[in-house]
Amino acid sequence: MKKVLIIILIALMGLVVFTGCDKSASFDSSKNIAVVVREDGSGTKSAFMELIGRKGKADPTGVIIQTGTAGILAEIKSNKYAIAYESLGYVTNDVKKLKIDGVECTVANIKAGTYAIARPLNIVYQQTIIDGNAAAQAFMTYLASSDAQTIIAAEGYVTMYDSATAYARPSQAAALTGTISISGSTSLQPLMEILAEEFNAIHTSVNITVAGGGSGTGYNNANNGVSTLGMISEEFNSTKAANCLCTIVAKDGIAIIVNKANTVESLTLAQLKNIYDNEEAEATKLKLWSQIIG
Amino acid sequence: MIKFYRFIKTRDIIMKGIFLGCAVFAIIALLTICVFLFARGMPFIIKTGIFSFLTSADWNVSDPANASYGILSMIVASLYVTALSVAFGVVIGLFTAICLYKFCNKKAVAVIKQLINLLAGIPSVVYGLFGMIIIIPFLRDYISPTGMGYGILAASIVLSIMILPTIVCISLDSLNAVPKTYYEGALALGATKEQAVFRTMLPAAKSGIFAGVVLAIGRAIGETMAVIMVIGGSPEMPGSLFQSVRTMTANIAMGALEQTGETLDALIATGIVLFVFVMIINICFSLLKNKKEKRNGKRRI
Repeated sequence: MKKVLIIILIALMGLVVFTGCDKSASFDSSKNIAVVVREDGSGTKSAFMELIGRKGKADPTGVIIQTGTAGILAEIKSNKYAIAYESLGYVTNDVKKLKIDGVECTVANIKAGTYAIARPLNIVYQQTIIDGNAAAQAFMTYLASSDAQTIIAAEGYVTMYDSATAYARPSQAAALTGTISISGSTSLQPLMEILAEEFNAIHTSVNITVAGGGSGTGYNNANNGVSTLGMISEEFNSTKAANCLCTIVAKDGIAIIVNKANTVESLTLAQLKNIYDNEEAEATKLKLWSQIIG
Repeated sequence: MIKFYRFIKTRDIIMKGIFLGCAVFAIIALLTICVFLFARGMPFIIKTGIFSFLTSADWNVSDPANASYGILSMIVASLYVTALSVAFGVVIGLFTAICLYKFCNKKAVAVIKQLINLLAGIPSVVYGLFGMIIIIPFLRDYISPTGMGYGILAASIVLSIMILPTIVCISLDSLNAVPKTYYEGALALGATKEQAVFRTMLPAAKSGIFAGVVLAIGRAIGETMAVIMVIGGSPEMPGSLFQSVRTMTANIAMGALEQTGETLDALIATGIVLFVFVMIINICFSLLKNKKEKRNGKRRI
């Protein structure tokens, strides 16, 4: 009797241990969609929610919250029924990117503007202010240089200047002086801070500050001459800043990723919004994978 | 001679001061933590309203200008997870202790005790990994009706393993502390071995076992890392064992590195609530213990 019990227990333990190594890839579409999101305060999260028109809204019920890019990817790799969003630059080959409205999430499609969940990261400025500021001119040249493109790509953004040339370094680091103030979109702020720091390493005497405030602040500060450059994370709208011109720095594309075993290939933008909408009516809410396949 | 005596006296005074300083250090640390918690968190709680902070289940901080801070769902989730894990832990731990006490080969006892102590030394993040890689896929693929592995059950399983050493060791120690004469007396009166252990020794060791359970509750409610990795993290009211929820500890740890301003204050306020919970548990425990000691007279343990 005792021995039988012990054998059963050991078998059970073995089963539990080996489920961790289960590689059977059959996808059961009658299971719930496991919606994975980033933690509050994540830049990717606020960018994604803004792009699907849910800025500042809460997550739908039952989401799995993962902190960090690695957490998202690990969850998608292990969970056949999960769906998540992640900046394209961080997506690895062991997860599957879904097409949105039939358009694949690739660098080329984001550049062409056909992929829906992407947005430009722009700087706006007044030409007269730039003309009178040698440091700002140098910084703008730097932004379009291959040095900057390398950093932009490494940070997970889509670069816009492919045939860029290397930034011409000055013979004397302290030769160029001046002040550049940058403010605006918090989506572009982290990237701009890194670029500014690198620029500062080349021109040690240039005083360069990067502040947040949001795209609205970026338009206003550039238009009123408060900041040398304003950052905006949307298509340039000249009615918001009549005095300004606009130059693109990079594009930010967000891929929708699922497990490789998932048989779904494509989502419509409406379906994606439905999945991430906390106010969707119970009757129309997409809950099962079969509702997307069938 | 007098000089030497004076030297010894000053040395005594200095050493006394050092020892006193060490003793006071712990108290100062506690006070500093209290002051920091309440100074940062209390203004927030008063501003939000203690009632709405504790009784609203609506937590949304994605838009700082229009945020809602209600931690009821997290309090409920914390209590569920703690209760369930302690229930699992006590059942398994108590029976383990009883087995080790009388029903096990003496040579094996030493080995098993060492192994269980080893369990106590594993970092909580490793428990979290274990939960994430073994328990979650197992629950998701074989147990859960919805295909969701994260939730209260997963967290409870991981936590119940974590609190096992506490319960086993303290229960075993308190069983061992019961005078042998009780056991022999029970046998002499014709009780079987099982009856003697369950009816005589276990009730006699009750207060010690209780202490172990309360310690375990304290550990379970305060555990953070292992819980975060298996709880899911969605701030909503628990309605199922397989539902992504968020405990108070998870709420603090998930946001503490990302959030600033008012939201950070909200997290500190959550810390106050957690602090008060742990204090209530400790006070309840001392009250219960005192009452018991008064009734039974001071016997042992």
